[in-house]
Amino acid sequence: MPDDRDAPRRPPRGDARPDDPGEARPDAAVDARPDPRGDAARAADHAGIDRLAGTLVPALIAKLGTLNVGELEVREGDWKVRLRRPPGGGASYGRRATDRPSRAHPGHELHGHAPASPEPHRSTRAIASATAEATNGSGGPGLAPVGPGLGGEAATAGDRRLGAGALAIGGSAASADAQAQIATSPAVGVFQPGSKAVAGTRVRAGDRLGVVDMLGVPQEVVAPVDGIVVGVIVDAGTAVEYGQELVHLESAVGAEGR
Amino acid sequence: MFRKILIANRGEIALRILRACRTLGVQAVVAYSEADRDSLPVQLADEAICIGPADARRSYLSAPAVISAAIVTGCDAIHPGYGFLSEDETFAEVVGAHDLTFIGPPPPVLDRFASKEGTRRLLGSYGLPTIPGSDGMLRDDEHALAEAARIGYPVLIKPSAGGGGKGMRMVRTPRELDSAIKVCRSEARSAFGDDSLYLEKWLEDNRHVEVQVAVDRYGHGVHLGERDCSVQRRHQKILEEAPTPALSPAARADLSERAIRAVVAAGYENVGTLEFLVDGAGDFYFIEINCRIQVEHPVTEMLTGIDLVATQIRIAAGEPLGFSQADVQLRGHAMEFRINAEDPAHEFRPGAGVVEAFHMPGGPGIRMDTHLYPGYEVPPFYDSLLGKLIVWGPDRATAIQRGRAALDELVVDGLTTNVEIHKALLANQTFLDGRMTTNLLDRIGSAAFLAAAART
Repeated sequence: MPDDRDAPRRPPRGDARPDDPGEARPDAAVDARPDPRGDAARAADHAGIDRLAGTLVPALIAKLGTLNVGELEVREGDWKVRLRRPPGGGASYGRRATDRPSRAHPGHELHGHAPASPEPHRSTRAIASATAEATNGSGGPGLAPVGPGLGGEAATAGDRRLGAGALAIGGSAASADAQAQIATSPAVGVFQPGSKAVAGTRVRAGDRLGVVDMLGVPQEVVAPVDGIVVGVIVDAGTAVEYGQELVHLESAVGAEGR
Repeated sequence: MFRKILIANRGEIALRILRACRTLGVQAVVAYSEADRDSLPVQLADEAICIGPADARRSYLSAPAVISAAIVTGCDAIHPGYGFLSEDETFAEVVGAHDLTFIGPPPPVLDRFASKEGTRRLLGSYGLPTIPGSDGMLRDDEHALAEAARIGYPVLIKPSAGGGGKGMRMVRTPRELDSAIKVCRSEARSAFGDDSLYLEKWLEDNRHVEVQVAVDRYGHGVHLGERDCSVQRRHQKILEEAPTPALSPAARADLSERAIRAVVAAGYENVGTLEFLVDGAGDFYFIEINCRIQVEHPVTEMLTGIDLVATQIRIAAGEPLGFSQADVQLRGHAMEFRINAEDPAHEFRPGAGVVEAFHMPGGPGIRMDTHLYPGYEVPPFYDSLLGKLIVWGPDRATAIQRGRAALDELVVDGLTTNVEIHKALLANQTFLDGRMTTNLLDRIGSAAFLAAAART
């Protein structure tokens, strides 16, 4: 799959990306900061971003793959990168490029926590684009494709952190043969967490973490791996869509999971 | 009017419905499967909700998933589009049971028109001619011979059960009838466990002509003229046009008027299409009714200027039609080319892949309904329709000229499409003369058809 699929996948829209990606794209993925800033400050930022993208991120991805932790955060000057281990079964899906925070989306408060996908090919694609960009970090579009999954510009206005972008990529990239760690929704309906969906609870793969009520028929949300519940992402009674991330788990790597 | 409509479909029709909702000032939610996450209707929607995996049985065909999505997004109506759940009267009933409105005929009306045989009898009783057939099932050879003689040869032997051509034979003479019935009985018995057969008149070189109707809840109905859908490939329409070149203006008016009178009398409601076979003599026979919006509805929209999807939604919301037969003016000539991801040189093998470049033709009288955009990956899970190119002209000749220009201008790179077959049709003398019948393509095969066009 060609990595450069991202850009043309976007349909023609009014708010097409700015003319100068080198200048503008990083802003889409970083904290809003006071403007106008001097050229020196911008140059310094870009140098920092390049360091992160070119050196740190690949190293972190490799590191995360070998560690039994869910998340890593590293600071570099004003910038920070946060990497999270893979969500259930594969990639974390990018929110659609056109997603707007104003949308009345079920679980809409969860920007940046896009529904996980059980489709492994998405994961591969995300890895490919992450890797290519990280090693390509010298100049050019900087961190352009960094975003949750497919959509480079998917970090929304409400979530303009580098971390938001790096999150998904780190997750996907580290997921080569890692166990899934997000329990996702099996249906469209209303989520009700079960008694095991409490942070710190040790669960086995297949344990019931809750249900999604679809027209009165409960559809089980199950733990994808043996592990420990880190947190419940969605409140009880929230409307959720198919594939939406519901419960965050930390897998018991190398232990009872294998 | 509705507050918010769930669009339970995909592709170009989801986009078409979204546009109608916007015109009406109604909010819309696009329900999509995981395979359609990057699709244009999902990207353009105010709101979208993933209802299941790529497998349509667990997403677009799943009544619980669709209804649940409508409820959690606060919709009060569901538009099923065409295909999928659009003609499922059980689905319509369950939608109603959840205090949602099914955009289409109300469930009791759908129920009345659910059986093809029942509908033929019902509309036959209101004056629509139906294909002559045997009086019930064939009892024995003597009965078969008598019925065939009464109907007139050639006749088609058809099994009561099943479909797909099994147990079906066309017979031209009494001498062939006896043995053909034996073969059909044995085929039907092994295929469906039921060997009852009946006879139907075989229409040689027939044309497919359909009448668009719209009837509101208060019994006020209009027809919007007919469409000719004779250009088919194995019973799949690929090019539709209006008016039909097969009938005189007087015959067209007679067909449409009889159709609207019959459906209003039979208690139909909402937009619908009555399909007819027209034989060489210009006699027409009612076959079936489609209780939904059809793929080829834009042909009629081009002639009338009436938004059929908006009309469908307004009728479902209980509004009166708001216009009369006199307001329906049929102007000019329109053609629709279905652009499919399939290879006409290889028996229309369907394809999928990434649209590498895309350009939509334009100009006077040109319309394109499509969900394509450059970079879009056509998923392999659903039907092959990529869009519809619709051209209008003051007369058939102008429509054909505009069609040629528009087909030449259309760019869909990265996929094999059936555009060549359309170009070949516009070079085919039978088509240009307006003499095409439903076997135009199948008779000589599409590959031969393309080759013939290339020589001209």
